[in-house]
Amino acid sequence: MTHLPPSEFTLAVRHEPATLTVMIGGELDYGTSGDLLNEVSQQLTAGQPPPADVRLDFRELTYIDSSGLTALLMIHRRTSALGATLHLDNRPARLERMLHLTDVLDHLTAPPTRTGGWQPEEDDGLTEAGMT
Amino acid sequence: MLVADRHGHLVRLNDVARLILPDAVNGARLSEQVPAWLADAHQRVIATSPPGTAPKISHGAIGDRHFEAHSTLSEGDVAWWLVDATDRRLAERALSDARHRSEVLSEASSTLLSTLNVPRCMEVAASMAAEHLAEAAVLIAPPQGRRCSLTYACRGGHVVQTSRQVDVAGVPGLREALQGFPPVPARWINPADIPDWAIPDGFAGSVGSVIVAPLPGHGVPAGALILLRSSTEQAFTEGEEVFARLFAARAGAALSAARLYTEQATITATLMQDLLPPTLHTVHGVEYAGSYRTAKDHERVGGDFYDVHPGAGPSEETLVVLGDVAGKGLDAAVLTGKIRNTLHALLPLAEDHEHILNLLNSALLTSHHTRFVTLALASVRRRGGRAQLRLTSAGHMPPLIVRTDGTVEEVDTRGTLVGALPAVSARTVKTVLAPGETCLLYTDGITEARGGPLGDELFGEDRLQRALAECVGMPAEAVVERVQMLAAQWLGNGRHDDMAVMAITAPKAGALSIVNGYASGGPSGRGGAGSE
Repeated sequence: MTHLPPSEFTLAVRHEPATLTVMIGGELDYGTSGDLLNEVSQQLTAGQPPPADVRLDFRELTYIDSSGLTALLMIHRRTSALGATLHLDNRPARLERMLHLTDVLDHLTAPPTRTGGWQPEEDDGLTEAGMT
Repeated sequence: MLVADRHGHLVRLNDVARLILPDAVNGARLSEQVPAWLADAHQRVIATSPPGTAPKISHGAIGDRHFEAHSTLSEGDVAWWLVDATDRRLAERALSDARHRSEVLSEASSTLLSTLNVPRCMEVAASMAAEHLAEAAVLIAPPQGRRCSLTYACRGGHVVQTSRQVDVAGVPGLREALQGFPPVPARWINPADIPDWAIPDGFAGSVGSVIVAPLPGHGVPAGALILLRSSTEQAFTEGEEVFARLFAARAGAALSAARLYTEQATITATLMQDLLPPTLHTVHGVEYAGSYRTAKDHERVGGDFYDVHPGAGPSEETLVVLGDVAGKGLDAAVLTGKIRNTLHALLPLAEDHEHILNLLNSALLTSHHTRFVTLALASVRRRGGRAQLRLTSAGHMPPLIVRTDGTVEEVDTRGTLVGALPAVSARTVKTVLAPGETCLLYTDGITEARGGPLGDELFGEDRLQRALAECVGMPAEAVVERVQMLAAQWLGNGRHDDMAVMAITAPKAGALSIVNGYASGGPSGRGGAGSE
């Protein structure tokens, strides 16, 4: 029985005019999803004005679990609060399957609504942001 | 320097010696002029033959100072050179005390920290305090309600633990110490003020001196320590008081660690009472079985759960829930408790799965986090020998159905995960189980069990479906056992996520009777699946 070392979790950030790109590599799970959320949150508030597009690039992603998906959902809340559109690029099969199974891809990549951020009190009128 | 002759008479004193022995008279007997230890040393030196083989150096006190006396023989007389060694002796004593104290402290730390049991920790702290710091020690834990837990220890005696109502204000400085305020200096405490309850039974004589030391904990005081010495012993010195505080600091740290651990263990145990998966059995003629293995074998609750809510009668639907909360450990376990309770309350609305999923979704939504749950719901009712099912997946692995001919179907239901989005949608699918057929609900811990011959392959859905194909006609209990066993074998010793499996089985014919006058209600078993 061989034990492959788990691939290192990596984050690389690239700023372009109006676009923030974060390359995510390795395993996005219970132990690392907090790092991703912190990094993206910092980058979102650091630059003025906030980006119009936030691209998460998963080309180097080797694993994702439900905690990783929790982080993506939270990042989506932050980006829509700033009026930015979230893009999930180069999705590996595993992520694709998870997004399909949990039915959240359209929600995550939908353009932000006029009102911007999602508010728990404003369920009505915001539902179109989510569902098919 | 002083000189004495072979007969033991003092011959001469120089000026410095006269300062030390102002009353000495030349020519008088040495034993009458100097302390006995020096006279004895002189006797030994002149009595020894051959001369000069006796020890040359003696020690002793003259007045309140300590001297070394070095002898030199000359023509039968002995010259004694007195060297004041008081300061060196004090330094040596301080050093040896310091060594002893650090030994005691390190022993205290290692003994105290080796236990996380609060009463044991208090016992050790009290008995070490009585052994090394005082004659007797009383350890008072912070009051719980009106009662205090008291631990009494006497040097060389047994430790007694009791819990009683006491007036902490009766001991000077104790109330303050229990609140974590700085200690009252020992000399301010009048030993006569100490009430009887603060004196252990075995303590002989009257109290001579007292130290009241707080036991500092992690943010909150862990209690206080009363140290007692009887009036026949030396009173506590300032150094001993400082040492007592050092000891108390270590005891307090150990005690509060033990207390925190115990509290957490109690909280976990209390929570687990409600969070443990239920035992399943046959309800209204349909078999249910479930099995749950947490990610870490020493934890008994985690992020997966299942429940069976029996219908009020045989004609009512039974609601089966299996779910998986994102995250791990106690956080996840507490959220599963909330979800299970909410779903229980929503039972009357269970005829519309999408509706209760939306209600649950609103109940779970919070702006603080996006922790979500994925669920598989099944509403089950027996009609004739068959079981009618309505199945809904909310972001969850779709249920699998084993048909009598050994085919395994993946139920075509799909829906949104619950608890993170403003609203959810889900498609419910109806199907029927013929006798001997089983519907399996499971969490992805099963299909993602990593192991196999190479150690890093996922168990996967194909392998699970092949395993299920061999389970035709088996009772629900056996199907669940088989799936868990295969996944566990696949894992070997590998790390795994929570794994939950539930089986719903229509029992084979023979055991069933006609229910409510219906011979057969729904469509035939095979190919009965279709969208609502």
